[in-house]
Amino acid sequence: MTYLRLARRNFWRRPFRTLMLVVCVAVAFLIYGLTASFVAGSQGAAGASDDILAVMNKSGSGQSLPIAFQNRLSGIEGIAAFGYVTRLRGYHQVERNVVAVTAADPATLIETSGRDLGITPELLASLTASRDQILVGRAMAQAQGWTVGQAVTVTAFETPRANGSANWSFRIAGIFDGVGPSTDTYFAIAQYDYVNAERARDKDTVSGFVVRPDMTVAPAALAARIDEVFANSSSPTKTQSEKQFLQAFLRQFADVGLIVNLVVSAAFVTILMIVANSLLFAMRERTYEIGLLKTLGFPNAPIITMVLSESVLIFLVGGVLGVFLAKIATVVLGPALGLVMTVPVIVKAGLIIVALGLLTGLLPATMAMRTTISKTLRAR
Amino acid sequence: MTNSAYPHPYIVMRGVNKGFRFGEEQISIFSALDLDIADGEFVALMGPSGSGKSTLLNLLAGIDKPDSGKIGVGNANLDQMGESAKTQWRAHNVGFVFQFYNLMPMLTVAENVALPLLLKPIPAAQRRERVDRVLALVGLDGRQKQSPGTMSGGQQQRVGIARALVTDPKVLLCDEPTGDLDRASADGILEILGLLNRELGKTIIMVTHDPEAARHAGRVLHLNKGSFTEQERVAV
Repeated sequence: MTYLRLARRNFWRRPFRTLMLVVCVAVAFLIYGLTASFVAGSQGAAGASDDILAVMNKSGSGQSLPIAFQNRLSGIEGIAAFGYVTRLRGYHQVERNVVAVTAADPATLIETSGRDLGITPELLASLTASRDQILVGRAMAQAQGWTVGQAVTVTAFETPRANGSANWSFRIAGIFDGVGPSTDTYFAIAQYDYVNAERARDKDTVSGFVVRPDMTVAPAALAARIDEVFANSSSPTKTQSEKQFLQAFLRQFADVGLIVNLVVSAAFVTILMIVANSLLFAMRERTYEIGLLKTLGFPNAPIITMVLSESVLIFLVGGVLGVFLAKIATVVLGPALGLVMTVPVIVKAGLIIVALGLLTGLLPATMAMRTTISKTLRAR
Repeated sequence: MTNSAYPHPYIVMRGVNKGFRFGEEQISIFSALDLDIADGEFVALMGPSGSGKSTLLNLLAGIDKPDSGKIGVGNANLDQMGESAKTQWRAHNVGFVFQFYNLMPMLTVAENVALPLLLKPIPAAQRRERVDRVLALVGLDGRQKQSPGTMSGGQQQRVGIARALVTDPKVLLCDEPTGDLDRASADGILEILGLLNRELGKTIIMVTHDPEAARHAGRVLHLNKGSFTEQERVAV
């Protein structure tokens, strides 16, 4: 007989109730796991780099920059490599099936963000084989059911072609995987020259420049330097890390982090009340047993530890189960939905499990501590 | 009430006052109560409901505090000890036997008996050996893994006695140990208590309503309206 065994037996003395509590907690942590993975992923924000800089128009990411800015960029110290991109958003077959195509300069692609995307020289060679070739990210290829060699049409929302059509035809040259599971691969890469030559307006402009700083300069310092160079130009720039850019981009639609925090908090508060209430009931049922333990000479400390360990155990089993299910969901659905369960998400879940376990057990533990023996013996 | 047959009592109460407050009303349970119990004595406490029998037991166990007066058990002055000191003292010196057994339903017989040993830093093998020994003493050898819920009342009370004995306390406090049992089972329990008193020298104080049960004790004290009204010696 050990304290651990006693806690385990108490935990399992009413299996159905315990099971329900564990399921409650598991659901809460499943919600947490999915939402936190969504925030971490944020369609690529987790995989986005803090070191790669995105130079955008200060007036907004929807505004373009002249491609001629590359001449001044090349003169700025601290830049290891840079390239330019222009975005083409549209849909494939049906309007709600939105796809994104990034038209980039193949010559600078690998040096800038190509390595993070897992672009190999072979893939690059296949991209440049003819001008309408595209490389498709694994997540998008899976979601759309696209294969190498397939011809696909993207109907652009805001980038009409010179011939008046909104339809852009591409042929899939290859599929890139990204270097890690958190890399956003839900987009395609086309050649800038093709898109620029075919579009009806905004010719010789870019959505932004991608800059890789060299080792001698801090990215933040370089970003300030770049913005200073273009401060008095026709299009002042705003330079920030790729991660900051993606997070800011998402915040245009909604503060995802805030929404997630509110949803998760609501779920946790509800679960906390349910579990605390059930544990209080359980403790009331066992008041006499707590009185008995005190009669046998058990001091408050082991009794409180026993009560707290029971609530922590419920949260531990339920929490681990919930996070595990969320992890499975991120593996199965992750690429398509941008779910990324990072180490910080798991560590935070662990801390929440312990904190909620202790917090929930606090009230029953206090009740157990205050239970006087004579009162409980009389109550029988 | 003192027992002149034992000049050096093991349990001593002197001038103990104890009352309870019910709303505005203060109800006195004991007033200047004296009691001597010798080492190795078997005392039965009788009296009507509400006469303070269980309160007296609680005072002797250090569960309740007297309003005034002195309570000594062995070398311990309970009236001067703090709560945690009394809790620690109780764990090593007193065994409790309850009317309703108070066994933990989710634990096996052996685990219930071993419960008080959680407080003692002894090796697992020694713990098992102690549990087996006390279970054999109360006639439950081989029932270690049984669930108490599957046992009769008499058997459950034997488990309760084994649990009280496992720490080898000097004093056993029994609160109506046969109150919930049929005659045959009650007699079995009383025989065990008598054996523990005679063979192992345990000091036993037993609260009971049952005159038959009281006859197993060496001395019967009748408590009424806060004082002992009668003392009988029983020829054992």
